[in-house]
Amino acid sequence: MSGEALDDRESILGLDNIRLELPIAGVGSRTLAVCLDYLVLALLLIAWFIVWGLVLPAAETWAIVALIVGIFALEWGYFAVSEIVSRGQTIGKRATRLRVITAEGGTPTAGAFLARNLVRSLDLVFGIPLMAIDPLARRLGDRLAGTLVVHERQEVATLLIGRVPPGWGPRELAVVESFLARARGFDDSVRTYEMADRILERLRRDAPELLAGLDTRSDPIAAIRQALQVVED
Amino acid sequence: MDYARFVRLRRPVWEKFEAQLTAARKGMSHAELEEMALCYRQVLHDHALSAARYPGTAAARRLRELAVDGTRALVGGRAEGSGGLVAFFTRTFPRAFRRQLPLTGIALALFLLAALWGLAITVLRPGLGIAFLGPEAVSGLAEGKLWTDSLVSTVPPAISSSAIATNNISVALSAWSGGILAGVVPIYVVLLNGLLLGSILGLTLQYSMAGELLAFISAHGLLEISLILVAAGAGLGIGRAVVLAGDRPRSLAVREAAQEALTVLLGCVPWFVVLALVEVLISPSHSLPASFKLAVGLSLEILFLTLATLPNRSLDTQT
Repeated sequence: MSGEALDDRESILGLDNIRLELPIAGVGSRTLAVCLDYLVLALLLIAWFIVWGLVLPAAETWAIVALIVGIFALEWGYFAVSEIVSRGQTIGKRATRLRVITAEGGTPTAGAFLARNLVRSLDLVFGIPLMAIDPLARRLGDRLAGTLVVHERQEVATLLIGRVPPGWGPRELAVVESFLARARGFDDSVRTYEMADRILERLRRDAPELLAGLDTRSDPIAAIRQALQVVED
Repeated sequence: MDYARFVRLRRPVWEKFEAQLTAARKGMSHAELEEMALCYRQVLHDHALSAARYPGTAAARRLRELAVDGTRALVGGRAEGSGGLVAFFTRTFPRAFRRQLPLTGIALALFLLAALWGLAITVLRPGLGIAFLGPEAVSGLAEGKLWTDSLVSTVPPAISSSAIATNNISVALSAWSGGILAGVVPIYVVLLNGLLLGSILGLTLQYSMAGELLAFISAHGLLEISLILVAAGAGLGIGRAVVLAGDRPRSLAVREAAQEALTVLLGCVPWFVVLALVEVLISPSHSLPASFKLAVGLSLEILFLTLATLPNRSLDTQT
């Protein structure tokens, strides 16, 4: 399959026809989220069984009907209501940092949330294979309501280079930025310093004036940050 | 523009937009919203620029996330979004249904053929009926009792109706999903059901209970058979894509056919629910006259066909 076709499906056109790539959530994370949700739901159902057992006479036919209606209402209501209230997140989705959006990238309406959860019992059986074959990982309910599930933005501090050595393209920038962002978390200090030295070498070659007066021996990472005037949020 | 300069000049806007995104969760005034919309536009344009010139950099990644988040916060459901279900049942489903009619016709022809065959062999060879229906149902018939009577009276209507709905849906779904095997499974399901109906009819004729059987199935049978045939037609569509992909990649042809078939199937789901209710509440009832059941069955079928083939003028103008 060509890369172009994939791009077409995974991106939407925003305002002024600007292409936006959506971070589509796959089968795995969605299944994890739904497992958490069913744990919560199991607690609710147990509570309902207890209430039903205490309050209603079990022998009556209508009491059994009430039990079944209650189970359905809880199952449907839990997902639909929590998605409506939190604009696209159940408890499981919040824990796994997922969110429901429309195919256009917007916030779905209450009607869409109700519709996508209506066929949930069918999706228990057919949802997983359907999500696996669809590039947008949609289950029946998503198709019916025109929704997608995406990963939420990670609220981590971003780190931007404020001074670019001549001749550096986006590739070098991306490498150095992601190295600096993660350098503090690396356990292996030998490897970290090796990598830092390689970046410093490149800096010495491309722009020695940036390193003038900096102590590159004792703390190479700090030196790189200073030389490139790294800004952090 | 140089990356460093781009970051230096534009970063205040991104930061402002990020703050606005956080503030938007708590609700904001009209003026604040307008300002946010302005920032959103700028962020979108910065995103387009960074994605093209500085792909993979931290700025590009951050702008993409901001743009996706901003879109979610500012773009609501479509104007027709709340009517998404209505639009599905009045436009999308009828369109797919009509496109698939020839295949449904093939399924119908196969079904009728199998039913005739089943009828013929059970009339000629009654012993074969036992093989189809199982000895219990046949011994019940000998006592003048339709097995359909006992099916529904042992469980409360609420439970058996959901069981029947899931049974019907699973028959239809296997007819649909089996289409991936070059259409073999839908053909099998259609032939099997035709054969079963034909042989049951033949068998009840033997015990002169065909009238009771027809009365039992008249309320729901027509619609039930129609739905299974429609699902089988959808499955045949997938099978056709597997066998005759044409000049496109097979995976693409199958995926397109499956989506079309899925639309048809989804449109049928509410009817399965209606069907299950009728099958439990109206069909087994002895107090209702056969003519009433027949009227219910016919009107349901007509309603289904009318809604499914709904001519829609806006259909041609939209997409």
